[in-house]
Amino acid sequence: MWLRVSFFVLVPTILLTAQGVQNPALTGEAVRGKNIAQTNPFNTEADVQQGGGLFQLHCSYCHGGHGEGGRGADLTAGEYEMGGSDRELFTTIRSGIPGTEMPAVRVGDDDVWRLVGFVKRIGSQGLKEKAPGNAEAGKVNYAKGGCVACHRIGNEGSDLGPDLTDIGRRRGLAFLEESIVKPEAFVPNKYRAVQVVTTSGSTVSGIRLNEDDLSVQVRDVSGNPRSFLKENIKEVRRDKPTVMPSYETTFSKKELDDLVAYLNSLKGAQ
Amino acid sequence: MRIQKRSICLGTVALAAALVWTLKGQAPPTQGPVTYERLLKAADEPGNWLMYSHTYNSWRYSNLNQINEQTVKNLHVKWLFQGRHIEKFETTPLVANGIMYLTRPENAIYALDATTGRQLWNYEYRNPPRTFNCCGKVNRGLAILGNTLFMNTLDMHVVAVDARSGHELWKTEMGDYTAAGGYAAPGAPLVVKDKLIVGMAGGEHGVNGFLDAYDTKTGQRLWRFNTIPQPGEANFGTWAGDSWKTGGVTTWNNGSYDPETNTLFWGTSNPWPDYNDDFRLGDNLYSCSVLALDPDTGKLKWFFQFTPHDLHDWDSTQIPILLDTEFRGEMKKTLAWANRNGFYYLLDRTNGKFLTAKAFVKQTWAKGFDDNGRPEVIPGNEPTPEGNDHTWPGVDGGANWMSHSYSPLTKLLYVFAREEHRRFSKNAVPHPTTDQPDRPPAGGGLANAGAYDPALGGAKTQGIGAPEESWGAVTAIDPGTGTIKWQHKVLTPPWGGVMATGGNLVFGGTLEGMIFALNSTTGERLWTFSSNGPVFASPISYLANGKQMVSIAAGDLIVTFGLD
Repeated sequence: MWLRVSFFVLVPTILLTAQGVQNPALTGEAVRGKNIAQTNPFNTEADVQQGGGLFQLHCSYCHGGHGEGGRGADLTAGEYEMGGSDRELFTTIRSGIPGTEMPAVRVGDDDVWRLVGFVKRIGSQGLKEKAPGNAEAGKVNYAKGGCVACHRIGNEGSDLGPDLTDIGRRRGLAFLEESIVKPEAFVPNKYRAVQVVTTSGSTVSGIRLNEDDLSVQVRDVSGNPRSFLKENIKEVRRDKPTVMPSYETTFSKKELDDLVAYLNSLKGAQ
Repeated sequence: MRIQKRSICLGTVALAAALVWTLKGQAPPTQGPVTYERLLKAADEPGNWLMYSHTYNSWRYSNLNQINEQTVKNLHVKWLFQGRHIEKFETTPLVANGIMYLTRPENAIYALDATTGRQLWNYEYRNPPRTFNCCGKVNRGLAILGNTLFMNTLDMHVVAVDARSGHELWKTEMGDYTAAGGYAAPGAPLVVKDKLIVGMAGGEHGVNGFLDAYDTKTGQRLWRFNTIPQPGEANFGTWAGDSWKTGGVTTWNNGSYDPETNTLFWGTSNPWPDYNDDFRLGDNLYSCSVLALDPDTGKLKWFFQFTPHDLHDWDSTQIPILLDTEFRGEMKKTLAWANRNGFYYLLDRTNGKFLTAKAFVKQTWAKGFDDNGRPEVIPGNEPTPEGNDHTWPGVDGGANWMSHSYSPLTKLLYVFAREEHRRFSKNAVPHPTTDQPDRPPAGGGLANAGAYDPALGGAKTQGIGAPEESWGAVTAIDPGTGTIKWQHKVLTPPWGGVMATGGNLVFGGTLEGMIFALNSTTGERLWTFSSNGPVFASPISYLANGKQMVSIAAGDLIVTFGLD
């Protein structure tokens, strides 16, 4: 047993010393904490951008193209079950999470670090940027635009659109602005718009909560969850991807900047 | 002791059932060890399910007909097996002599009373913490001969287990599972005579593929067929430079066997790197091919390559279906193959000659075929660094590993087809033998086909689950012509297979967990059950105490249905 333990401890050490960048996902060896840097050595802007490409290749299938989650966890909140330090994220990506569907990502160590950089960027995108607009004025615009009818901030609002309580931490300024003026540019699957036309002639609009070949579940525009058997449905229309209208012509540039600044100020519980 | 008591109990039940069957004029399932002769005549034992595809021709057809167009409306759950695991449940259970044998992820075997689902014994094979199968720690099933069960493992072993007790009889290492980025063996093995035919996986890394045969009594390896011709072997030289050393070409699904010509048929996977051909120019034999082998020696009789120089991970690891059909007015011994590349092929199985091919899903990459079946490729479908989203079918293909089914009743081939639009990205791959020691693989098929956009905002695809972008369809194909007779559309591209029955039904399950029965003549949906667990498996049917059952894995359950 001693020999066995020694083998598994020594071999990775030797490999890491000799080559520096051997991913145990490629060798079968477990990652050892003492060999991992405390802070990300690949953290330039170019590294983060490279990490973004790697993320799309290796992670987006489960975590979504924007880290919004799906089969895998939502990474936009900057909260990680296995820890959020560089070193902890490195370990999670490099080795996977035992007992879950999260596998070891099969890239070299340098690229694991680049992924760490990008994942942290996703989880703290809004914290790094300073909005040019006036947040107080933006709060007024938020009310004026009727955003509360679909979105929630804390205990106030509705659930037809994404919860905005900590959106200022989750998303960057460009993403926020695009979501307001071109909301169809990115729609998470759980917020896709449908119109259910029943055989009795009524039409219910909302977002699709779930669906199979027998039924479809919808949150209607009043926020109520509803379920329809497809045998009672004439048609499920999916003409547009989102129920969110474009506010491109509703707000002036300044009003838009102010609204983005308000959203950027929403950091959730600190 | 409990097992012995259970065996006595099962024996009593079997005797009683035999009496009932005899009175009904229906032959009872054969009892005793599962001999090779029984495997050869597995179609004569509809009460059992003795191999992965039920019979050597891989029709996955049950001629049981108690559950039929009229009675299927009364089908209901008889029992559940609780897998209590998170991995995909891809197993095809076997049923022999009143006992169901199934694999549960990662590499456990369970023996259940097929009437009640009650456990008789279980065997747990412990893999190392880290194994390297591309697409989950899955296993697809077992083989049986005599009183011995056989299972492949994720760490590249083959194990033999006593079917009466779960006691391990032997264990053989196929190879180093950590080599070249990782080997694995997730498929079900196939018994032919006294040999166990075993495939392997790892085509998303730079492995060197093979198909093995082992002595069923001892576990000793009897032959190995290299799926990439090695120096000195026939057809060597279809890979640029030394790319053949790391070319992938694995054998990760099950095969078929034609006793009449003593030929083993087995499909092969993609060449590696999957989406980047910079250093592997050439046809890359025998990737994306069907191999016809002598099972006694492992010698190649012939091969047919469906997708020369594949760039889209379009493995040809579908189950070969052997059927005799009329082709242009003449009866032919054929091989019917709905391929991941989106085309249905008909080959002469005596010599591999190409007969015809026809698309069964939307495809954009080939405008036709020459007389030898070589596709005339349409330029512009290659993966690109920025991502090519104009190519159909998607990376997971028009068909994948899930079983198709052929019904002699309707003379139709049933394929649970995938209509899917995904993006093909070409990422840089360092040369495996010259560039650097730490070799990043080409990226798994699932991830690599996802949306590619280095900027944080602006991914163009909406990911999986958007029904307007992709769907599935049970597709009935006339095997002689490739003509589609009917299609039954479902919401999302499936990961489950289908089974046709003598009750004029086709069973299957969807990714949302809807288990269904269709009229196999018309495609009309006659019965459904909402399991709400994704189906990643193919159904089976058998008799329990003289009554027809249908079983399929859904979520982490085995769900077994019966009539009363």
